[in-house]
Amino acid sequence: MPLDLASLLTFATAAVLYAGLLNGRWRGWALLIGSTLAIYWLQPPLAPRFADYVLPTATLALAILGWLLTRPPDVESRQTTLREDRLTLVVLFVLAVGMAFNRYLDAAYRLTASRPPSPLWTAVILLGLGGLFLLSARLAAKADQRRVLSGGILFMVVVFVALKTAVLSTAVAQLWRTLTGQNPALAAPTDLAWLGFSYVAFRLIHTLRDRQTGLLPALSLREYVTYIIFAPAFIAGPIDRAERFVQDLRALPHMVGLDAARFGEAGLRIASGLFKKFVIADSLAQGMSLTAVNAAQATSTLGLWMLLYGYALRLYFDFAGYTDMAIGLGLLFGIRLPENFDRPYLKSNITTFWQSWHMTLSSWARFYVFTPLSRSLLRRKPRPSPTLIVLVAQIATMTTIGLWHGISWTFFIWGLWHGVGLFVHKQWSDRTRKWYRELAEKPWQKRAWTLFSWFVTLQFVVLGWVWFLLPELGLAAATFGKLFGFGW
Amino acid sequence: MNEEQTIREKLRAFITRELIRDESYNLGDDEGIVTGGLMDSFSLAEFGVYVEDEFNIYIPDSDLTVEKLDTLNQMVARIQRDLGA
Repeated sequence: MPLDLASLLTFATAAVLYAGLLNGRWRGWALLIGSTLAIYWLQPPLAPRFADYVLPTATLALAILGWLLTRPPDVESRQTTLREDRLTLVVLFVLAVGMAFNRYLDAAYRLTASRPPSPLWTAVILLGLGGLFLLSARLAAKADQRRVLSGGILFMVVVFVALKTAVLSTAVAQLWRTLTGQNPALAAPTDLAWLGFSYVAFRLIHTLRDRQTGLLPALSLREYVTYIIFAPAFIAGPIDRAERFVQDLRALPHMVGLDAARFGEAGLRIASGLFKKFVIADSLAQGMSLTAVNAAQATSTLGLWMLLYGYALRLYFDFAGYTDMAIGLGLLFGIRLPENFDRPYLKSNITTFWQSWHMTLSSWARFYVFTPLSRSLLRRKPRPSPTLIVLVAQIATMTTIGLWHGISWTFFIWGLWHGVGLFVHKQWSDRTRKWYRELAEKPWQKRAWTLFSWFVTLQFVVLGWVWFLLPELGLAAATFGKLFGFGW
Repeated sequence: MNEEQTIREKLRAFITRELIRDESYNLGDDEGIVTGGLMDSFSLAEFGVYVEDEFNIYIPDSDLTVEKLDTLNQMVARIQRDLGA
C-alpha cells in the first residue's frame, strides 16, 4: 500500500487548512477536487506508457458513467441538480486536462508518476468520451433501466476479471504496449496495477444494484464521484455505503471546523494506525513472517508454524493499521468511515470471525451475493434442501471474496476453505443450539468450551492464510502439508 | 387480537418453528435473536422470503441485517411500517 509518512503528513496538512480556513459550503467541493488530485498523485508509476495518467482518468470516467446510469428514473429530481452537475463535469474535465500539463514539469514537481500524454490530445479524447457517454445515457434513458443496470454490473465484472486474471491482464498490457510503441514482450501482469480499482468496482456495483432495487438515494454528480474516490478510503477501503457517506457529506457545511474533540479522536486513530502498521506490522515483516521465499526454505514444522503466526499477525496489524489511518483521516475531513475490524483473532467461531474481519467487504458480499442468492434459491420450486442452499450460498460468497483479491487458484481455494468452514459451523450450531444455551448455566464448562472454540477457530483461520499468501499452488500445497509434518 | 399482535404471534411462531427449530423456546419480544446466536444470516434470508410470502412485503437484501432486524420488536415495526406505507 503506497500510503507512507510523507503522504500522511500531506493529507493531515490539507485537512487542517480545509477545516480551519475553508467556508463550510465549499467543503464538499474541496473534497471532490482534493480527492481527484489525490488519485493521480497516489497512483504508483506503471511501465506501459501513460498508464499512470490514463488509469486514474479512467477511474473518474467510470465514476461519471456510474452516476449517469444510477440517476433516478423520475425527471424532476434530475432537473433540480442539473446546474451543479454540469459544473462538476466542467471541474472534473479541467482537472483531468490540467493533470496532463504535468507533462511540461520537471519530474521532481510532477503530481503524476510519469509523463502524461499531451493535454490537447487528452482534451480531444475526453470530449469524445464525454459525447459518447451522453449519447449512451440518452439511449439508456429510453431502455428498461433494470436491464441497463444489469449491463453496467456485468461490464464492471468483465473489466474486473480482465484486470485481475494474470493471463488476461498481461494480454491487455501487451496490447497497450503495442499501441504506445513499447516492447510487448516485456508485458507483465503487474503492468496495469490500477490503484484503488477493486474498491472502486465494488462501490460502483453497490450503487448500480441499489438503483435496481430502488434503495439508492438521489445523488448529485459531485456527491457520487466523491463517494467513489474519497481519498482516505481510495487505496484500501473501507467500502462505505453511498447512502451513509452522503449523510456526512451533506452535513459538512454545518460542521465545526477546528473541533478539538474531532481532531483529538482522529489524531488518536491515526497514531494507533501508525503504530500498528509501521511499528508492529513492519517489524514482523523483518523475517518474522511467512513469505514465498522463506516458506520454501523452512527447515522445521515448528519454525513454519511460527512464521505462519507471524504472517497472520502482520497481515492483521498492517490492514487494521491502515484502516485506522483511513478512518482517522476521514474524520479530519468530517467523514466518519465505517469500521473494518473488530478484534477478529479473538472470536470463538468462524462466523463471528467473518463478522469482524474486513467487515465492509464481508457485508458487501452478504448484501450482493449471499442474501440474494439464498433468497432466489429459497424461492425455487421445488425448493432445494436448506442444507444445500446454505452450502451453495456460502461457497459462492466466500469464493467471491477470495477472487476479489485476485483471480487465481490459491485465492479460490482460500475462499472455498472459508465457505466450507462457515457451512460446517452453521450445521454444527444448528444442531447444538439447545445444548449451547444450557451451557450458560455452567460457567466453567462454558469458559472451557469458549477457549477451545477460540483455539480451533484461530488455527482454521491461520491455516487458511497459507492459500491467501502463497501465490503458487504447488508451493502453497507443499507448505500446507509441511505444517502437518508431511513432505519434509 | 389487533393487527400488531397478529403479526407478532405469526412471526414468533415462524421463528421458533422454522428458524430456531425449537418450538418450546420462549422467545422474548426484545431478545436479540441474531446477536443471541439463535439465528444467522441465512435465517435472515429465510425470514425475508417468509415475509414476502406471508405479508407481501419485500424487504431489500441490505435491510436484512442484525442491526435492523435483531429482535421481534424490530421485525414487527418494520412490517407494520411497510404495510402502512
